[in-house]
Amino acid sequence: MKRKIAALAAAILASVAVAGCGIAGDSDGAQREKVRLMVWSPSEDQSKESGEWLQTTCEQFAKEHPEWDITFVYGVADEATAPGSVKQDPEASADVYMFANDGLSAMIDANTVVKFGGKYAEEIRATNSPEIVESLTKDGEIYGVPFTTNTWFMYYDKSVFSEEDVKNLDTMLEKGVVSFPLTNSWYLPAFYIGNGCTLFGDGTQEELGVDFGGENAVEVTNYLIDLVDNPNFRVDADGSGIAGLRDGSISAMFSGSWDANAVKEALGDNMGVAALPTYTLNGEEVQMMAYAGSKAIAVNPNCEYMVPAVELAIYLGSAKAQEDHYVLRNVIPCNTELLAQDNIANDPLVAAQNRTFNETSILQPFVASMNNCWTPVENMGKGIRNKTVTHENAKEQTEAMNEAMNSSGI
Amino acid sequence: MSVKKEYSAKRKRFINNTIVHVILAILAIIWVFPIFWVILTSFRAEKGSYVSTFFPQSYTLDNYIRLFTDTSILNFPQMFMNTLFVAICSCILSSFYVLAVSYCLSRLRFKMRKPYMNMAMILGLFPGFMSMIAVYFILKALGLTEGNLIRLALILCYSGSAGLGFQIAKGFFDTIPLAVDEAALIDGCSRWQIFSKITLPLSKPIIIYTVLTAFMAPWVDFIFARVICRANADQYTVAIGLWRMLEKEYIDSWYTSFAAGAVLISIPIAILFLSLQKYYVDGLSGAVKG
Repeated sequence: MKRKIAALAAAILASVAVAGCGIAGDSDGAQREKVRLMVWSPSEDQSKESGEWLQTTCEQFAKEHPEWDITFVYGVADEATAPGSVKQDPEASADVYMFANDGLSAMIDANTVVKFGGKYAEEIRATNSPEIVESLTKDGEIYGVPFTTNTWFMYYDKSVFSEEDVKNLDTMLEKGVVSFPLTNSWYLPAFYIGNGCTLFGDGTQEELGVDFGGENAVEVTNYLIDLVDNPNFRVDADGSGIAGLRDGSISAMFSGSWDANAVKEALGDNMGVAALPTYTLNGEEVQMMAYAGSKAIAVNPNCEYMVPAVELAIYLGSAKAQEDHYVLRNVIPCNTELLAQDNIANDPLVAAQNRTFNETSILQPFVASMNNCWTPVENMGKGIRNKTVTHENAKEQTEAMNEAMNSSGI
Repeated sequence: MSVKKEYSAKRKRFINNTIVHVILAILAIIWVFPIFWVILTSFRAEKGSYVSTFFPQSYTLDNYIRLFTDTSILNFPQMFMNTLFVAICSCILSSFYVLAVSYCLSRLRFKMRKPYMNMAMILGLFPGFMSMIAVYFILKALGLTEGNLIRLALILCYSGSAGLGFQIAKGFFDTIPLAVDEAALIDGCSRWQIFSKITLPLSKPIIIYTVLTAFMAPWVDFIFARVICRANADQYTVAIGLWRMLEKEYIDSWYTSFAAGAVLISIPIAILFLSLQKYYVDGLSGAVKG
């Protein structure tokens, strides 16, 4: 298998070299290679109202490569569901598609994603932060071209909280109402991870398992029990957070960039965005740590026209494409050059997301055992909300959660 | 004495009726409540999936208008037409299959009759979506998973297994006296003529029952549509569209439109049921009386 892939990679590199010569050779375009590329993206990327980012970028790509006569076929599949759809039938799927990095392990197992090697890998490394590249790396190989980061942070009402206040959750709770999705296991671990709990060692060592037990985890559980009792705290579930921002009953909530427009509408000029705050545990400040991931562009190994597909993936993740994506659809770029540009660096949303990604988050592990970690945490959150987890049984309940996270439940 | 007795019996009946009606009223409220809530939500002017009040603070028709005008992300009109087309075609096809198979099993005697009925019984024990992936690959081998042919694939999917769902219709045909058939045979009718000219006109209730269920299945199906449509957004059915409206990126702005969509898709079914309900009940209770 490995050898096959290596051979494939070599073939790509070789044919790039050949194609490179080809351009210089025949400028009359008579020998243009006919290429058919199927590209999948979320529907907003293709809608007229948001500027047809995908079509425009693909056309530009075709213009830059006159040696190929490319026919694009577009399909709709968002980053979360695309890996599953490709896996269902890799041969009849997109050549180039977008995915969220938490699906990477499954994609590699199903052999639905190619490695980027040689000059492509160098380019990806050169234009992205090491954390992002790491989110798409397994066993030293890069599997996708990143185009945005994926995490959550805090929205708050500037008229209620000052920039000093939003550094600490407990300070905020004294001044206004804060809502947190306590029953959502994508958010809740932020408290535990902040206090030293770990998932699979550095996130890739599956054999080490999860450490959500022990004294530090029990402390967090106790903290959360008190948090729920705080009259200024609301559990955010089924969209109650954003609804609270709208009617003014809530002044801060935790969510991601997908809610940015709704929050802007609700708060207007008072909209504040910040990275995750700390919380005070036994007198000490503990930093909340979110799960973070990336969204990236993958190439299907069953693709017939490998070189154009890989080139297109790189092009869709390039600085130019990311900038258009940001302008048209507010997709937060991750290209390091772009992030240094003034107009982007000054956007508070971009700043908050990137600060969260770089400083107050851990890479969401994408090892297969991670699948066992969601339900126990969610149950813990629900238990705390429903007050079945109390100070008396916090220790047992935390240990039970830890045990459940470390077993497949079968 | 006797007057008093009558009075107390009346009184008793009155009390009984009152209790029964109160209980029924409470149950009716509980059952209708979610539907009422969806309808209210579909007219709600405030955005978002969560509201603190049961009754919307203001009402609007925008959610419905948006469904049909804002086709940028989710093309609802197209999905609606796709679903309607698929549902009507597979309704016609599978009604025919069901009635024909039921008639054969009820009236004809052939070697495979018993084995076929046993097989259908056993196959019916397995959920249809078990074969989902296999069905997909068979359709792909036939070249039906690209472009407009997806609609044909869906129609085949929904009507293909209809021959196994004959039990109720067969039970109905069994209640039509065989003597009617025999009389027709003597008069020179062929089997087809008996089926189309005698049995079917006598079986209005069960035809309507069959048509209704055959229409409902594709109209509300999600799994097969999802597996077969994949990334072909122009072929999506309503179920997929409604599901997508609840994804985290869309839920906040599309939630009220989702409710509007839910109301809209229930309208055709509701109309069918209301206009056909008296036959529906007859269909399940047997054919020729007396």
